[in-house]
Amino acid sequence: MCHKADLLPDDEYDDRLSAGLATNFDLSSHAFTHAIDGLSVRDQRVHELGDQTFESKFVAPPAPVFGGLGPIYNNVSCINCHRNDGGGLPITGSATAGLLMRISQAGTDANGGPLEVNGFGLQVQDQAIFGVKPEATIGITYTEIPFTYPDGTIVNLRSPEYQLLNPYIPITVPYMLSPRLAPRLVGMGLLEKIPETTILSFVDAGDQNGDGITGKANYVYDPYTKKTEIGRFGLKANAPTLLLQIAMAYQQDMGVTTFATADESSLGQEQYHSVIDKDQRELADSLLNHVSFYVKTLAVPARRNVTDPDVKAGSVLFNQVNCSACHRSTMMSGSEPDLPQLSGQRIHPYTDLLLHDLGEGLADNRPDFLAGGREWRTQPLWGIGLLQKTTGAAYYLHDGRARSIEEAILWHGGEAQKSRDAFAQLTQQQRMQLIKFLNSL
Amino acid sequence: MKKSILVFAVTGLLFGACHKSAETSNNTDFAALETQVITDFTNNVALGQYSALTNSAVSLNQAITTLNTATTDANLLAARASWKNIRQTWEQCEGFLFGPVEDNDYDPNTDTWPTDYNQMDSLLASSNPLETDDIKNLPQSLRGYHPLEYIIFGKGGSRVASGITARQKQYMVSLSADILYNNVQPLYNDWSSGFKNQVLTAGAGSTQFETKQDLFLNIVSGMSDICGEVGEGKMFEPFIAKDSTITESPYSSNTLDDFHNNIIGLQNVYLGLNNGKGIRDLVAAKNRDLDNQIRTQIQAAISSFDNITLRYEEAIYKQRTQVQQTMDQLATLKDLLDNELTEFMITNIKD
Repeated sequence: MCHKADLLPDDEYDDRLSAGLATNFDLSSHAFTHAIDGLSVRDQRVHELGDQTFESKFVAPPAPVFGGLGPIYNNVSCINCHRNDGGGLPITGSATAGLLMRISQAGTDANGGPLEVNGFGLQVQDQAIFGVKPEATIGITYTEIPFTYPDGTIVNLRSPEYQLLNPYIPITVPYMLSPRLAPRLVGMGLLEKIPETTILSFVDAGDQNGDGITGKANYVYDPYTKKTEIGRFGLKANAPTLLLQIAMAYQQDMGVTTFATADESSLGQEQYHSVIDKDQRELADSLLNHVSFYVKTLAVPARRNVTDPDVKAGSVLFNQVNCSACHRSTMMSGSEPDLPQLSGQRIHPYTDLLLHDLGEGLADNRPDFLAGGREWRTQPLWGIGLLQKTTGAAYYLHDGRARSIEEAILWHGGEAQKSRDAFAQLTQQQRMQLIKFLNSL
Repeated sequence: MKKSILVFAVTGLLFGACHKSAETSNNTDFAALETQVITDFTNNVALGQYSALTNSAVSLNQAITTLNTATTDANLLAARASWKNIRQTWEQCEGFLFGPVEDNDYDPNTDTWPTDYNQMDSLLASSNPLETDDIKNLPQSLRGYHPLEYIIFGKGGSRVASGITARQKQYMVSLSADILYNNVQPLYNDWSSGFKNQVLTAGAGSTQFETKQDLFLNIVSGMSDICGEVGEGKMFEPFIAKDSTITESPYSSNTLDDFHNNIIGLQNVYLGLNNGKGIRDLVAAKNRDLDNQIRTQIQAAISSFDNITLRYEEAIYKQRTQVQQTMDQLATLKDLLDNELTEFMITNIKD
């Protein structure tokens, strides 16, 4: 007779384990920077090399080490935006910038992706090496909008407006902009391992259960593999793999070419004249692989205060107001033969990796493959409570407009409108409990 | 980035502690000691060292101003001495790299390397203004200690006073002013006006450190990080690549001193400064053996630098055994901090 092993009942797991064997218990400002436990000596070395490359500031070529910056770029290293492997700051055009601007015009390209704006590509590079013009600079203005709870409490939300200033050439077509804040790097290796079937099982096409939430997967073209695949990374789930996400960041954010993204971001533009060795791949193949391995093997921080009564109450409220319909708490990672720490783990990313309509307030009105102008990928919430500590200043949502978790919740609309309204109806004490729960993640 | 162990298991072992009056009074004493260590760390180590850094930055700025006014070899030597002096203080401050220094980017603003020769040369060859405010807007690889090092030492330390051009002078004056006014002074002010209170109120209202344990773990993590950064990064990379161009301070050949001072900075945090209490006092109160181990190992790591008698840029080729021995000592120290000391904090700091 053969018995299939059952999973343990939910209450028999340690709530602190955000990611099974891939959980780490350092809760300092470096909580996001640790390797998963038990890497082999060789894997540790690769992780470390990836770490160093991640932190290395690129400089203008030719240079003995880490040349290849630009000629146009958004920042000079990965770590400049992903502060302590945490999130970015919503500012542009400086060493501390963590926000960048995507750009496109109406229509789609041959692969169903956004259509480039001539002379600007799909991303505005707002910095440049010495002697070269950046594509443009970004102007950000915020308007404070008070939100009043039914109990009379007032919270200020700030609504951003973005402007393209000083373009190096005139833009002759109507264009769409979409701001993107650098996200924290928590659990990317595990998100990559969530089986596609699991993600698709979260889709509720036609809203069968009547909760107003449907969700859909993005399918995007991978220019490296030349295949269309399910999107997992990026704020609109517009990158299918970590490798491509990272390679595109090198190419677009830093102006550093790689084997997966071989063209300079300035190709076809006047800034391209200052590229010295046009055939050279600026990031060694091994280093791109190392950085990819580094991000993949970063551990997920453990939860804190899991026995705190407020946190427990907040966890119940999180389900009651139905945040959990999109911010899915629990799933199993798929198989990863080389890294048992990532393989078959019971993980709590608090995302379904699907796109949802989040309403007019958050809309960028810029489609990205199947993602519409009001749709965003559910942001994973693990590590959210450590963002302030790791990044130094915590900003939330796709463009960092929210200065607190509370503001972020209140911006939710569209499919999340019901949950947001239910949150607003809670008592002040209950709202505090829900936020305390989120801070324990 | 760093290896760390599953220390959470320890917290499960603490059930059923018995309550005796002697223990209660010990606990009261220990809690008072924790507070004292926090106070002394804040005032003597962090603020003390950042205040020393400010003084060093003022001296450097004066030396550079003097060199600008009278560009003689004597003044160049004085400026170099002043540069080495601030590097000593700064590298020791890296024993506690958390708070404003990382949150407000003072570290990458002043201590980014390698320097960007090409952009530096382009910048110097251009007519781009080079006032302090212009420096502030440059990429980090064109700001801070190392571009200044390049100007006053030159490649291979070959700079002579008569070889410093007018543009280079203007650049060096603004670089040292940028270090002082845009970084070192604000760093001290950020600590003394705000972050200090976050640290002092750990576990008693601090929003950054909800518990004292939180703060102590952060301090230990900072010690471990610098140990790892030196042993596994700054020393290891040029060593394994056999490449002297990727060392920290190649123009001044100050690299080995940088490393040495990093570990002294770690030691300052552990022992405390100016007769104040340090982390060691907490450890010794509960586990003398562990305190002995840690102190001995820090000392062994620091002393091992003395065996490297060449400048680091040469030692990676000619004294590989000695370099390897120091990296081994640092690895042992890091293990102690990551495992035993971290466990100690989790087990013993309960508020």
